[in-house]
Amino acid sequence: MTHTNYRLVKTLLLLFLGIWLVFTLFPLYFMIVTSLKPVEEINRMIPTFWPQTMKVNNYAGIFADPGSLKSLVDSVIVSVTNTALSLFLGTLAGYALARWIRGVIGENLAFWILSNRMFPPVAVIIPMFFLFDSMPWGTDSYFSLIVLYLVFNLPLATWLMMVFFRDAPRELEEAAYLDGYTPFRAFFKVTLPLVFPGMISVAMLCWIFAWNEYLFANLLTGTTVKTFPVHIPTFTLGSQTLWNLVMAFSLVAMLPPVILFIILRRYMVRGLSLGVVKG
Amino acid sequence: MARLELDQVCKGFDRPILDRLSLTVEEGEFFVIVGPSGIGKTTLLRCIAGLEVLDAGRIIFGNKDVTRVPPYRRNAAMTFESYALYPHMTVFENIASPLRARKVDRATIEKSVMDVARLLRIEQLLDRRPHEVSGGQKQRTALGRTLVAKPDVFLLDEPISHLDAKIRHELRRQFHTLQELRRVATVYVTHDYAEALSLGDRIGVMGDGGLVQVGSARDVFERPSTVFVARHLGQPTINEIPCRLSNAGGQLTAQSAAGGFSFAVGGPQRALLENTQGDVLIGIRPQHLRVVNGSSTGQVAEALVEAFEALGATGVLIAETGGVALTVLTSPEDDFEPGQPVRLALDVDQFLYFDPAHGRNLQG
Repeated sequence: MTHTNYRLVKTLLLLFLGIWLVFTLFPLYFMIVTSLKPVEEINRMIPTFWPQTMKVNNYAGIFADPGSLKSLVDSVIVSVTNTALSLFLGTLAGYALARWIRGVIGENLAFWILSNRMFPPVAVIIPMFFLFDSMPWGTDSYFSLIVLYLVFNLPLATWLMMVFFRDAPRELEEAAYLDGYTPFRAFFKVTLPLVFPGMISVAMLCWIFAWNEYLFANLLTGTTVKTFPVHIPTFTLGSQTLWNLVMAFSLVAMLPPVILFIILRRYMVRGLSLGVVKG
Repeated sequence: MARLELDQVCKGFDRPILDRLSLTVEEGEFFVIVGPSGIGKTTLLRCIAGLEVLDAGRIIFGNKDVTRVPPYRRNAAMTFESYALYPHMTVFENIASPLRARKVDRATIEKSVMDVARLLRIEQLLDRRPHEVSGGQKQRTALGRTLVAKPDVFLLDEPISHLDAKIRHELRRQFHTLQELRRVATVYVTHDYAEALSLGDRIGVMGDGGLVQVGSARDVFERPSTVFVARHLGQPTINEIPCRLSNAGGQLTAQSAAGGFSFAVGGPQRALLENTQGDVLIGIRPQHLRVVNGSSTGQVAEALVEAFEALGATGVLIAETGGVALTVLTSPEDDFEPGQPVRLALDVDQFLYFDPAHGRNLQG
């Protein structure tokens, strides 16, 4: 490629990226702007792209409302517990599938586990409701959501952890056996640290799913337990929607995933297997 | 400290790898197993270490039957061909790992690791991680991890095969001098015959199914039990010439199948082969052929040069006589042109005779 050609391609690429950035970031921008407007300004026919009157007290309103705060707490309880369970069970199951259950049985079992994620959730929504309704803890409880989200997160966690464990060299475990570690101790001393970055990624994926889930949460819970995606629609009143509060609350709910992702990013991309084999 | 005993060990995957293999390695002995790639050398080590479950047979350390003992209770130490260093631990932690597994106290660990590191000259690397050190240093770390464990049996799987020639020689010298290795039974696996001949108190040549020949370096090199052993030991490779023996008037003659190359069988082999008629496979090591000028007392063959390689310390000549291409070891100062006629002196006493059907050495 000639020099001019290269510059042309680079310019076009930057142009494309610019357009793409505007396309993806504009909704976010508009959310932020809307969260700072008073309701009257939002309802104008010609929208304003910069608030004429800044109203920071939308945020104050969110934090003053006990319902909003409780929904965030509920979301934290459900998502964190579910993530912990998914990660714990998924890691053990993934290890078993990667190391001990081999051949045709292992392959089919692994595929079956993953296939649990393939059906559209709407297909089971009504059976799920009746199933949970017949349980002693009922539909409207932390437990029901935590267990229900396992249906979606556990296959994902199991499958991903299985892949990470398969990539972790078996020889390292064998070296640990020869050092005198029992399989149980070798797993914690050698194998688990190797897949640690993978566990962080899996935890993030599970947690974001549980944090954002709306469909089942809306169907099963809403009174005793109310996660934030279920709480957002309550800003819709009979006559109008309080978009400023919706946006302010959504932005608050977005913060934890964004912050966590920024903190954990470096684990999610790091491959610890570097330097295991001879160079 | 113990001797290592293998009794009728069998192991196979989709095909048999080890077939009723029996072997005793004495306490303090350095036993080298040499053989081509993929023949099952590593499988044998893994069986001894307990990483593979035997199909049949017994493994005994000292006087304890460990056949059913899991690897973490066997007290065998093994270096892996890939080194298998823990990437998330420092060199120090890697070496300390067997002691930590045994819950040794901190001060003792510190001291033992430092001793081993000093011995292997890696004490300046202890804080680094495996991916920050060179191949030779990784190998020393892996070796350190096995030395520190004070095991009953040392198992070394191609420990230096993948290193540069210079480091390989340095480490080879170190294997000679490491007293730690001389106190227990050591099994060392390699595909490099020079490594085997140099290091082994005894050498086992591995072929299909198990050990084809076990003996000292001299034994296996000079008196190979089969043509497989002869072929595998020695560089350049031994010349193999299918011949026919005929006894005409008290004169035992070997003639190549194509007919162009023949010599009178002499030396100690003569008496032995006196009654043998028919086909034999003759093995001639390249150093048992010499290029001579003018007349020679022994038997000679006229040949034409095909190619010549000067390899620094030696020269390798390929010469053709009567339809047979012979590899001859010469000196590097020689200079041969392709097509040039040469006279080869045959060191007939040193020739090896094999059964063409099974490859068995007819003299042994």
